[in-house]
Amino acid sequence: MSSLRITGVEAALLGFVAVGLMSVVLLSRFIDQHRPVTDPAVAEESLYLNGNTVRRLSLGFNGLAADWYWMRSLQYVGGKVINTPNISLDNLGALNLKLLAPLLDSATTLDPHFLEPYQYAAIVLPAVNIDEAIRITTKGIEANPSEWRLYQHLGYIYWQKGDYQTASEMYGRGAQNPQAPAWMMAMKAKMAAEGGSRSTAREIYTRMLEQASDPDVQKMARAHLLQLASLDQRDLITRVLNDYKQKMSACPSNWQVIAPTLNALKLSLDRTGTPFDPAGYPYLLKTDSCSVELNPNSDIPPF
Amino acid sequence: MTDASQVTVNRPSTFKSSAFTRIAAIARNAFREAVRDRVLYNLVFFVLLLTAAAIFLGELSGGQERKIIVDLGLSAMLLFGVFISIFVGVGLVYKEIERRTIYAIFSKPVGRGEFLVGKYLGLCLTLLVNVVVMGLGVSLALIYVSRGWDPLALTIWPAVMLIYVELMILTGVAMLFSAFSSPALSALLTFFIFIIGHFSTDLKSLATSMGTAPARWFFGALYYLLPNLSNFSYITPAAHGVRPPLALAITSIVYAVLYIAIILAAATLVLNRRNFK
Repeated sequence: MSSLRITGVEAALLGFVAVGLMSVVLLSRFIDQHRPVTDPAVAEESLYLNGNTVRRLSLGFNGLAADWYWMRSLQYVGGKVINTPNISLDNLGALNLKLLAPLLDSATTLDPHFLEPYQYAAIVLPAVNIDEAIRITTKGIEANPSEWRLYQHLGYIYWQKGDYQTASEMYGRGAQNPQAPAWMMAMKAKMAAEGGSRSTAREIYTRMLEQASDPDVQKMARAHLLQLASLDQRDLITRVLNDYKQKMSACPSNWQVIAPTLNALKLSLDRTGTPFDPAGYPYLLKTDSCSVELNPNSDIPPF
Repeated sequence: MTDASQVTVNRPSTFKSSAFTRIAAIARNAFREAVRDRVLYNLVFFVLLLTAAAIFLGELSGGQERKIIVDLGLSAMLLFGVFISIFVGVGLVYKEIERRTIYAIFSKPVGRGEFLVGKYLGLCLTLLVNVVVMGLGVSLALIYVSRGWDPLALTIWPAVMLIYVELMILTGVAMLFSAFSSPALSALLTFFIFIIGHFSTDLKSLATSMGTAPARWFFGALYYLLPNLSNFSYITPAAHGVRPPLALAITSIVYAVLYIAIILAAATLVLNRRNFK
């Protein structure tokens, strides 16, 4: 057994290793701080290899490569979203996410049965490149014809596009799958009859919230549901304000005045009669325009 | 002198049983040698990798931890196994020749084929221990990230078995090359076989799309003669909870057994031609 006593030379070497490592850390930090800003054209350079090429080169590790592309997609979007914290996941068109479609395309080419990227493509891509969103989701349906959820995603994309007839058709095709839930058929009818209505939107986001495993998608669906609930509440409050104005020829000076009516409509109020939005923030009464507005601090996205 | 040179041979009751005993003794010693060479230390890296993945993937994967743990765990299992197969496999025979311990072995009543098969089985046993421990690690990581029982912890095992079979083929290939070539070249050639083995679908399409008949024959021959390792690639479906169809798994294993028998026979032929005097 070797002795535990350290000789002078060994102590000097240990000291050199420790000092050297600290110097490396400090030097790295210096280099990072003084690194020139990356040219956006270089940062957004197209992927060198498409999904099919990577699939060939992956030597049986294509599942792992798909995971890598999937996580890169999340990091890519996350990196852009981090500077605009309150932006909704389905409204990222202004962020110039031109690499997102190729990244999701590669992930789904490497592992065509990986369903999560299709959902992400259906939710995030339409605001960036709706044709790519349709192409990737259609590719997913070809690879997974028995997955009714992909029809739901494609229907959602067409709904966002305002093409309610095709959206209804997609929900109908998905409903033909024996494993599809009954609401897919109901959705087909609803989409054809009242595609642009608030109740259709509520149904879409409720189903999305039920099925999504990605916390960001859940958060987005929840925000939309709160927004829809808030829109309903604001419609009610606006009606009460208009009725009051019609009767009294003036706008109520505060919430207390119309509190009994609001209470009868089952809105949640505090002691002063101020109604709360579904996220728990008090609505603002604009007496000059006799209207109700969301509190700027509220988590509910403005319409 | 390595342990393989210290093989003791019991008095055989029949030729068949004594051959088995000799092969088992050589295999046991090859396994011990691998353990002493700290080959199984890779398990520590594997466990660290899986632990880190289980802890950090939740934040990075958008709710896809289970799939990524299976992909990562089984891919690492294949990759570590390939490195062990190649780098240990090419040294098994060469080390005995280099240290001249092979003379001591062959001075005993041990056939060259028995020696090769024994060495091969010893490394396969090492790989089996490696693969089983790694498979258990992946299953435990799945149970951890699912916060309870996860059916994937069981459904990955057919894919684990196919990975092991692929490693058995690769070990045979490494031993075949090491029977006539240097370790560096053998490692390189075996790695090429691993790569080409996963390109077999492209070889087949090349064979059918070539304009000239000789080119078609050439690529067709390559497709059929080189091991088709894509038969054993079931990691990606396993991550979705899909098991290989039983018929496919059985035919793949039969293919592997046949291929390994051919490789070991060829390696024995080469070793028999070598002059150790």
